[in-house]
Amino acid sequence: MLVKLIRYMRSYVKESILGPLFKLLEATFELFVPLVIASMIDKGIRLSDTGHIFKMGGVLLFLGVVGLAFSITAQYFAARAAVGTAAKIRKTLFERVTRLSAEQLNKTGVSALTQRLTGDVDQVQNGINLTLRLLLRSPFVVFGAMVMAFFVDAKSAWVFAVAIPILGLLVFGVMAWSLPLFKRAQQAMDLAMGITRENLTGARVIRAFGREKEENERFTRQAETLSERKRKAGHISALTGPLTCVVVNLALAALIYTGALRVEGGAITQGELVALVNYMSQILVELIKFANLIVSITKALACFGRVQSVIELDENAPGNEKNRVMNAENDVVVKFDRVTFTYPGAGAPSITDVTFEAKKGETIGIVGPTGSGKSTIVQLITRFYDATYGKIFMYGQDVTALSSKDLRNRTGIVEQKTLLFSGTIEDNIRWGKTNADENEIVNALSSAQGLDIISSKSEGLNAPVGQGGRALSGGQKQRVAIARALVRKPEILILDDSASALDFATDARLRAAIRNMQGESTVFIISQRASSVRHADKILVMEEGVVKAMGTHETLMETSDLYREIYFSQFPEGEAYV
Amino acid sequence: MFKNIKTLKTLLKYLGKARYLVALSLLFALLTVALTLYIPVLTGQAVDLAIGVNDVDMAGIGVILIKIAACACLLALFQWLLSVVNNRLSFDTARDIRIAAFRKIGRLKVKTIDMQPVGDTLSRVITDVDHLSDGVLMGLTQVFTGVITIVATLVFMMLMNVWIALLVVIVTPLSFVVSGFVAKRTYSMFRAQSKQRGEVTRIVDETIGGMKTVQAFSREKDMVDSFNEANENLKKCSLRAIFFSSITNPSTRFVNSIVYALVAVGGSMMSVFGVGALSIGDLTCFLSYASQYTKPFNEISSVVAEFQNALACAARVFEFIDGEELDKEAPTKANLEKAKGKIEFQNLSFAYNAKKPLIENLNLTALPGQKIAIVGPTGCGKTTLINLLMRFYEPDQGRILIDDVPATDYTRNDLRSLFGMVLQDTWLKSGTVMENLKYANPDATDEMAIEAAKQARAHGFITRLPKGYDTVLTEDGGGLSQGQKQLLCIARVMLKDPKMLILDEATSSIDTRTEMRIQDAFARLCAGRTSFIVAHRLSTIRSADKIVAMKDGKIMEIGTHEELIRKNGFYHDLYMSQYR
Repeated sequence: MLVKLIRYMRSYVKESILGPLFKLLEATFELFVPLVIASMIDKGIRLSDTGHIFKMGGVLLFLGVVGLAFSITAQYFAARAAVGTAAKIRKTLFERVTRLSAEQLNKTGVSALTQRLTGDVDQVQNGINLTLRLLLRSPFVVFGAMVMAFFVDAKSAWVFAVAIPILGLLVFGVMAWSLPLFKRAQQAMDLAMGITRENLTGARVIRAFGREKEENERFTRQAETLSERKRKAGHISALTGPLTCVVVNLALAALIYTGALRVEGGAITQGELVALVNYMSQILVELIKFANLIVSITKALACFGRVQSVIELDENAPGNEKNRVMNAENDVVVKFDRVTFTYPGAGAPSITDVTFEAKKGETIGIVGPTGSGKSTIVQLITRFYDATYGKIFMYGQDVTALSSKDLRNRTGIVEQKTLLFSGTIEDNIRWGKTNADENEIVNALSSAQGLDIISSKSEGLNAPVGQGGRALSGGQKQRVAIARALVRKPEILILDDSASALDFATDARLRAAIRNMQGESTVFIISQRASSVRHADKILVMEEGVVKAMGTHETLMETSDLYREIYFSQFPEGEAYV
Repeated sequence: MFKNIKTLKTLLKYLGKARYLVALSLLFALLTVALTLYIPVLTGQAVDLAIGVNDVDMAGIGVILIKIAACACLLALFQWLLSVVNNRLSFDTARDIRIAAFRKIGRLKVKTIDMQPVGDTLSRVITDVDHLSDGVLMGLTQVFTGVITIVATLVFMMLMNVWIALLVVIVTPLSFVVSGFVAKRTYSMFRAQSKQRGEVTRIVDETIGGMKTVQAFSREKDMVDSFNEANENLKKCSLRAIFFSSITNPSTRFVNSIVYALVAVGGSMMSVFGVGALSIGDLTCFLSYASQYTKPFNEISSVVAEFQNALACAARVFEFIDGEELDKEAPTKANLEKAKGKIEFQNLSFAYNAKKPLIENLNLTALPGQKIAIVGPTGCGKTTLINLLMRFYEPDQGRILIDDVPATDYTRNDLRSLFGMVLQDTWLKSGTVMENLKYANPDATDEMAIEAAKQARAHGFITRLPKGYDTVLTEDGGGLSQGQKQLLCIARVMLKDPKMLILDEATSSIDTRTEMRIQDAFARLCAGRTSFIVAHRLSTIRSADKIVAMKDGKIMEIGTHEELIRKNGFYHDLYMSQYR
C-alpha cells in the first residue's frame, strides 16, 4: 500500500526529501538544548560564571532562530508535496472512474465513488502532510535523544534502550488494532451519503407519500451507527497517548534512580543528570505528537486503500481494451449470432439465443413487453456488456476484437432515461460532435423536433440546461438528447424508447425526419409503440428474452399472434387508421 | 469575523445539548493537567536530592520515585477518559448537526432542491460535517485543555518563583499575536478552498451519475479535462491555505524557544545570586514547565489552523441548515376523513421564470370520482399542473380548492396524503423490493404487497429476480429496466389506497400490452376516486370523464373523447397524429 502511495509522490521527490530533511535539521538543533542547559548548570551556576550563562542563553536563542527558518522551509515543501500528490491521486482516480464498466459502476455505487474522490483524498493529503513533517522527525528525536543520552552517560542510558522498543511496540500495536475499526466507520459514512443522495433525488416521491419522518428516522439511525463506530475507533486509537505516558514516566523514575546512584559515585554531575531527564521529557513530547500522527496516518492509509481499490479495478472490462479500429466495408452492420446474456449476479438470462442481422441503411424495430430484453440488446451493441454466450459482429468482425471507443464513436444513442450535463443546450448537443458548426447543431435540433425549445428561450442555443438538465422539461430534455445523437450522423443510430416523453405527433414527425436524413444510418428503434416501429424494414418481436417473431409489419400481422396483440392493444380493431 | 462569531454561536448551541459531557471533559482535563504538572515538581525534588559525590539521599529519592510512578498511572487513566469523553462529544455533536442538516432537506422548497446541485448539498451534509467534527470539536477540546494547562502552569510557577513566572507571562502574549495574525489571513484562503472543493464535487457527481452517457459519447476526456481544471484550482487554493496556516506552528515554537532561553538565563542568574532561593531542581522543573507552558500555545495555534478550515466548513453546513425553507403551517382546517375528492382550479397562473409565463388564468373543476385526462404537446404545462396540485410549487395567482377548501388551508403533508402519485421519474429507494412496495403504506402486510404487485403485473418479473421480493435494489433501482421500475411505482400506489390519484405519464415506459393488462387494475384503482391522468398515449385516456386538451399553458378544449373527436378541432388533430 505504502509503496503504491509513494509512487504517486514521484513528481514530488524533491519536496518529499527536502521537507523531512529540513525537519531533521530543526530536530538536530533541538537535541543540543539539554546539553546547553547542562553546561549552564555545571559551569555557569556551579562556578557562578554569569558570562557563560549569557553566552549559553545566546546559543539557545540562536538554536531557536535556526529552528524557525528550517521549520518553515520544511512546512512549505511538505505542503507542496501533500497537495500535489493529492491532486495527482484525485486526477488518476477520476480518470479511472471514467473508464469503469457499467457493472463496476453498479457494484461500487455512485455515492461511494463520490466519497472516494472527495473526503478520502482529503484525508490522504492531510496524512501525507503530517507524515512529511513528523514521521521522520519524531523517531529521529527519540533515537537522537537516546544517542545523546549514551553520549552523556552510557551506564544510565540503558533505560532509554529498554523503554524505546516497548514504546514502539505500543504505538504499532494500537495502530494495528484500530485500523479495521476506522474502515468500518468509513463504510457507515458511505451509507449515510447514499441516504442523503436518495432524499435529494427523490424529494417529490418522498413528499408525495409523506414519508419525511421515516426518512429522517432512517438517516438518524445511520448517523447514530456512524457516530458509534467513529467513537469506538477513536477510543482505541486514543490508548496510545496514555500508554506511552505510563511507560515514559516509569522510565523517568528508573532513570532518576540510576542517575542518582551515578551522581553518588561521582560518574556524572548534577547538570548531566538534568540533561538525561530533559532527554527523557523530549521523548515524551515527541511520542505524543507521534501518536497523533499515527492516528492520521492510519486514517489516511485506510482512505488511500479505498481509493486504490477503485483505481485497481479490473481494467479489462469491456470498453477499455485497446483493440483495433473496425473496417467498415462489410454490408452487414450488426449481426447477433445466438447471443445469450445474463447480467452479473442475476438469476436468469435477460436474453436467450438471439440471432438477427441489420444491413447498412436498414431500420430495425424491436418491440416487446416491459422486461423482455429489448434494452439489453442495446447494452450489448454499445458494448457496455459483453455477451455471455454467442457472438456479436460489426461489419463482419467480432466485436470483442474491436476498439469499443471506435464503436461508440460510430454510434449515436438516445437512452430511455435522458441525461444532460451542466452547460448550454449547444454544449450538450456538441457532445455528439465536438467540432459541429452552428448550422449542423440547428439542423440536428430541427430533425429532433426541438427548434421550439430554443425559440422559447431568450438565450436560444446558449440557454443553460442545469445539472442533469433540470431547467428543461422531460420532453425538451429528450429532444435535446436526440439532437445530441443525430448531430454526429452516426453509422448506427439507437433510439431506446426515446420517444416516451414525446406526444404522438412529435414522435411521428421525428421518425419522418430521421428517415429523410442524409447518409446511410442503420437505425434501431426500441419502442412499445407499434406506430413507432411499423415502418421498420425488420421488426423483432421479443418476449421474456426470446425473439418470438421477426419480419415486416405486414408479415407479422399475419404470422405473429403476439405482434397482433401488441398492435391491437394500441389500435383497437376497426379503428385502425392507416 | 462577525460571521465567524455567528458560526461559533450556532456551534455552541449544538454543544449545549451535551452539557454534562462538557463538564466531564473539563473535570478530566483539570485532573490530567494537575498530574502532568505535578510530575516535574517531583522530578525537580529528586534532582535536588542528588547534588554530587556522596551527597545523594537515595531513600528520599525512592519515595519520590514511587510517587512519580503512581502519578503516571493515574495520569494515563484520566488522559484516556478525557479522550473518551471528547470523542463522544465530538461525534455526538457531528451526528446531531448531520441529522439537523438532513431534516432540512425534507423542509426545503422543491424549487431549491431542483436548483441546487446534488453534489454540493452532499458535500455539505457529509464531508463538511466531518471536517467540522475533526477540526472544530477536537479543536475546541484541545483549546480547552490548553487553556487549563496555561492557567494551572501559571499558578504552579507563581507558587514556586514569582519573578520567573512574571518573565514567562510577559513574553507569552507574543504567541497570541503570532497565531492571531496567521489565523486572520488564512480564513479567506480556507473559504476559497472549501468553495473550490464544492466545484470538484459537483463535477464528480455529475460525471459519475451520468457515466453511461459520458461513455456512450466518448466524452471521458472532456470530463477529465474540466475535472483537471477544477482540480488544479483546488490544488492552488489548498496549497495556499495549508502552507500559510502551517506557519503558525513553527512561529509559536520560536516564541517557545525565547521563553525557554529567558527562563534558563533568568533562573541561572537567580540561582547564582541566590535571589528567591531557586535550587537546581527548581530550575529543572521550571524549564520543563517552560516547554510545557508554551506547548498548549503551540497546540492552540496549530488547532487554530485546522479550526479555520473547519469553521469555513461549519459555516457552509449552517448556511444550509438556516437556508430558506417552507413556511410553518397551521393545522389543516378540513376534515380529512370525510374527503370527497372535489378539485377546483380557479384563475390559476404560474411561471417558473417570471419572464416567461407558463400557465395563465386556468380554470378547471373535477367532481368527486371523475377521471380527468390532461393531454397536449410536450411542454404545454401538464406536469406543472401536477406540481401545483401537489403543492411542490405554489401558484403565482389564483388558487386550488380541494373539497371547497383552499389547498393552502391544508398542511402540505395532509394534502399529499389524499393523493396517490405515479410520476414519469421513477424513483425507488435503496432497499428490498418489498420495502419499496410498502413505502407508501408501511403498515401493509407482505400478502397485501404481493397482491398489489400482482395487480400491477409486477409479480412476474419480481419472482424472476435473484431473491424475489427480498432482492435488494441499489441506488435508484440499479439493475431494473425503466418499465420494471414504473410497474413497481404503480404497485406502490396501489398499496396506498389514496382518495385521489395522479398519474403523470405513469405508463410511458410500459409496453401497451402490459398496460392493457394492468388497465383493469387501474380501472379498479380509479373507481370512486378523482384521478388526474397525464398521458401521451391517447389510448389510455379514452375512457376519461373529461379530457382537457392543453397548449402553451392554456386549455384549448374540454369534453369526452367522443365529443372532442366530433368537434374535429385541436384534440382531433392530436389524436389522429398518432396513426400517421
